[in-house]
Amino acid sequence: MTDWPSAFEAELLRLGVQPARARRLADDTSQQAAETATAPGEVFGPAHLYARHLVAELSAPVAASPRTKFEAGPVLLSLTGVSKRYRRQTVFTGVDLTVRGGEVAAIVGANGCGKSTLLRICAGLTRPSGGTVKRTRRVGFVPQDGGTAGWLTAEEHFTLFGAAAGMVPGRAQSTGVHLATRLAWRPAAQRVQHMSGGTRQKLNLVLGELHAPDLLLLDEPYQGFDQGTYVDFWQQVFAWRDAGRAVVVVTHLLHDLQNVDHVLDLGER
Amino acid sequence: MTTLVVATLSAREVGRRWAALALVIALPFWFYLVRRDATGQSMRMLTLGIGWAISTLTLFVVNASRSVDPRLRLTGASVLSIIGGRLLAMTGVGVALAAGYWALTWVDQDVLHPWAAALMMLVSAVVAAPLGSLIGALLPRELEGALALFSVVAVQMLADPAGLTAKLMPFWSAREIGTYAVDGGSLDMVGHGLAHAGVTWLICAGGTWAVFQWRLRLARYPEP
Amino acid sequence: MTPRPWLHGFLDLCLLAMLRERPDYGYGLSQRLASAGVADVPGGTLYPALLRLEEQGLATPSWAPSEAGPRRKYYAITDAGRELLDGQADDWRRFRDGVDSLLSASEVPHD
Repeated sequence: MTDWPSAFEAELLRLGVQPARARRLADDTSQQAAETATAPGEVFGPAHLYARHLVAELSAPVAASPRTKFEAGPVLLSLTGVSKRYRRQTVFTGVDLTVRGGEVAAIVGANGCGKSTLLRICAGLTRPSGGTVKRTRRVGFVPQDGGTAGWLTAEEHFTLFGAAAGMVPGRAQSTGVHLATRLAWRPAAQRVQHMSGGTRQKLNLVLGELHAPDLLLLDEPYQGFDQGTYVDFWQQVFAWRDAGRAVVVVTHLLHDLQNVDHVLDLGER
Repeated sequence: MTTLVVATLSAREVGRRWAALALVIALPFWFYLVRRDATGQSMRMLTLGIGWAISTLTLFVVNASRSVDPRLRLTGASVLSIIGGRLLAMTGVGVALAAGYWALTWVDQDVLHPWAAALMMLVSAVVAAPLGSLIGALLPRELEGALALFSVVAVQMLADPAGLTAKLMPFWSAREIGTYAVDGGSLDMVGHGLAHAGVTWLICAGGTWAVFQWRLRLARYPEP
Repeated sequence: MTPRPWLHGFLDLCLLAMLRERPDYGYGLSQRLASAGVADVPGGTLYPALLRLEEQGLATPSWAPSEAGPRRKYYAITDAGRELLDGQADDWRRFRDGVDSLLSASEVPHD
């Protein structure tokens, strides 16, 4: 059986913390437990859970989290009377939505009501049949599945998407690896086709935010995530919001909705 | 910059599909081996084989990146850099393949004009890349695209070289230059071949660009 | 699902305020929080918050020996920490006054 500090350090490494930093955090944590003259396990609980907690805590900005003041930024996306028809079939009509910087909007509704189509319209990949769309220029789009090349590794994807955004390969890779850490993921030299569904979605998320867009469009990006990663994902969404970005999430999970700023229900229209 | 990164990664991608790569590299060799005794026949078959191999590989590469391209576009890449990068990579692979096979024929066959033989294979490889990407742009599935390319090559192979059908086929240029390389004759044949190759390349590359320009078009929204 | 529990958001504010009064170490801070009646903050909540303050340059640590037992990590507030604290304290007062006014307006007058 390994002792608490080693187990803690090993878990930090697994979560993508750089070795030197993991060592320092493990030392610090042992020291803190010693201050209270108790065993680390008694103060902090199981090592692997505390490691995950600490990583999430350290990546969050210091702020008065219960937002005592609501500061919405400029409008980054606005839809007015947007509709979509394919031939004679109307998918939706009269959709209005305004999302400002520092806000999260959720698009909900039953399967087949056009949630993904609406998100693609927001991205500009699909044209609306009617209505007006105004949108900030810098946008990140995370599709529900696909969006990656099976024969390339995560780091090669960082290079490719970085190049598209005008970043040099070195910077694109270090940014990608850094963003992956926030999702408790350390990219390995593994091709996308060999990744698990959850890991592929993490890559998808990182690719969506690699170029630091002002508006993030996410299409149920948590499919295949385990419970812990799912929690990390929402923490990440709220971290983006707190950093002044606008986020639009397509979701069918209703319990996600209590912390979002706008809910657009396409199904009940 | 983006073009070079796309080219490098596409080349790497092809390098990893080693099963497809091995089959594609071997294919012109089987074509060649069947009529090794007849220089003219074997050279023509080999050249068509190179064309078919490179166009099929390009088709695979274009199809494999179908879901990545819209996102690259959205992140800021231009259609030209995406398409250009892929064509650059596959042309490079094609030139390498042609050079290898030219070395083989140079050792193994007695060709009248070896430089023209090199040109024939080179032209075949260079035309094949945009042909593959155009077919890939038009036909969404790999099997359909591969069958379409197979039809093109079969018609090219069987059509009467002097007839109109053969002239309308993409690899007529290689055939024309090949005839000069093996049987000799007027140097005009090389000129005609190069002209045909240039026009074919422009049509295929331009067509690919047009299809992708349409498919990867982004709605232009005003800023709020 | 709340990203961080309610009290948790005020923890940074409380910690910075205590450190502005005087530098202190983890266990000392948790006792001060408890005796002020704010909360009994477990180590697993307190220490990550301190580390975060340190990593974001709002507090600076130094090691000092203790009379008995292991040495302690003392935190002192930085200028950046003071600045953030000033801003957040104003936000907090505005928020508190707002809640107070709503509460007192709704109270049923007693005889």
